[in-house]
Amino acid sequence: MANHIPGNLLTTDMKTTDNPKQNGVCAMNSTHLPRCSPVDISNDDIMEAMKSMQGYIDITPADFKEIYRITYALSRDRLMNALKAADIMTTPAHGIDIDADLITTATLLAEKGISGAPVTDRKNGVVGVISEKDFLRRMGADQRGSFMQVIAHCLKNKGCVAAPMINRAVRDIMTAPAITATPDIPVGQISALMTEKNINRLPIVDAAGQPVGIVTRSDLVNSYCMLG
Amino acid sequence: MRYFEKMKGHTQSPPRVNKVEIFWSWLGSFLGITVVGLMHFNLLDRSAMIMIIGSFGASAVLVYGAIRSPLAQPRNLIGGHMLSAVIGVAAFQFLGHIPWLAAALAVSIAIAVMHLTKTLHPPGGATALIAVIGGDTVHSLGYLYALIPVGLGAVVMLIIALLVNNLAPNRRYPEFWI
Repeated sequence: MANHIPGNLLTTDMKTTDNPKQNGVCAMNSTHLPRCSPVDISNDDIMEAMKSMQGYIDITPADFKEIYRITYALSRDRLMNALKAADIMTTPAHGIDIDADLITTATLLAEKGISGAPVTDRKNGVVGVISEKDFLRRMGADQRGSFMQVIAHCLKNKGCVAAPMINRAVRDIMTAPAITATPDIPVGQISALMTEKNINRLPIVDAAGQPVGIVTRSDLVNSYCMLG
Repeated sequence: MRYFEKMKGHTQSPPRVNKVEIFWSWLGSFLGITVVGLMHFNLLDRSAMIMIIGSFGASAVLVYGAIRSPLAQPRNLIGGHMLSAVIGVAAFQFLGHIPWLAAALAVSIAIAVMHLTKTLHPPGGATALIAVIGGDTVHSLGYLYALIPVGLGAVVMLIIALLVNNLAPNRRYPEFWI
């Protein structure tokens, strides 16, 4: 059964912060996940801006800052909710059968030029995800699945580390259960989800759990153009 | 503790405006009060009418010196003065025998009504107060006070504000009308 995230239930923890050390950068929070915070504006910046405007500005820097904070939060929410998975996802999703052998699977992924795909069962429900990371993990990389770890492993063992995967099927190495979402999940929640779960692609499923598309990190990057 | 803490203030004063801005503020207010003053002393003096009241000095600060302020916009200038004038006259006519109460109610109700009608204009408080404490000359005007001097004076100051403020290359007035 897929670990299904409905588009309207997930909450993100991306509140504005007063911490000056987090000015406009992705800082690490207590759970070691990157967390983005908006650029904090200083009183000096505001005073400088007020000086550059002709005329007496009938507002204190603190009032401006408060308006800025609230406006920023509202704008951010509007932008984060403006686009949904349905707007940015890649379609169709290339579902891979759970019993497909790994040679076929690797060849297919290579031909399509993609690094991962949702795994489907006989009823075409999404039951997992298979990606380069799953292969890399079987080739000597740790949970984070880096190609460099595989190189290091290869050099130490003097041999092909892919050999143990011959005669294995998708179900043996896939990541399951799949984290999926419905087409109405906003991009802001997709970003949060990808960061939180440390995943690179999110299969999008319909009400019956069947794949309708996939959102990758690249889709997310491209979506920023659509917002601009 | 928080109560007293709040009395310490928490931010800084906005920056000083540049000299060009000060010049235009000076010119606008000089001309605005000049015109209202000329009407008062040369035209109306002989007819027991008045044209100039103290609160116009306060309006001049806003409509010539802080022209971006929402408080300085035409809606606030005209609306704030005229509504407050009516309230001030009514306060005097109903409660003139208790001057302190008439004065307090005139100002406080004027502020509330200006808030309600989005016409907050600080000099309006003075306009309401003057209707009560302004002496016989003001009292004898009755509700006419709201039209002359208050309404007319505000309109004259507005016309000067439109003419002078927009002469300055980097100024524009108003921000909005209604």
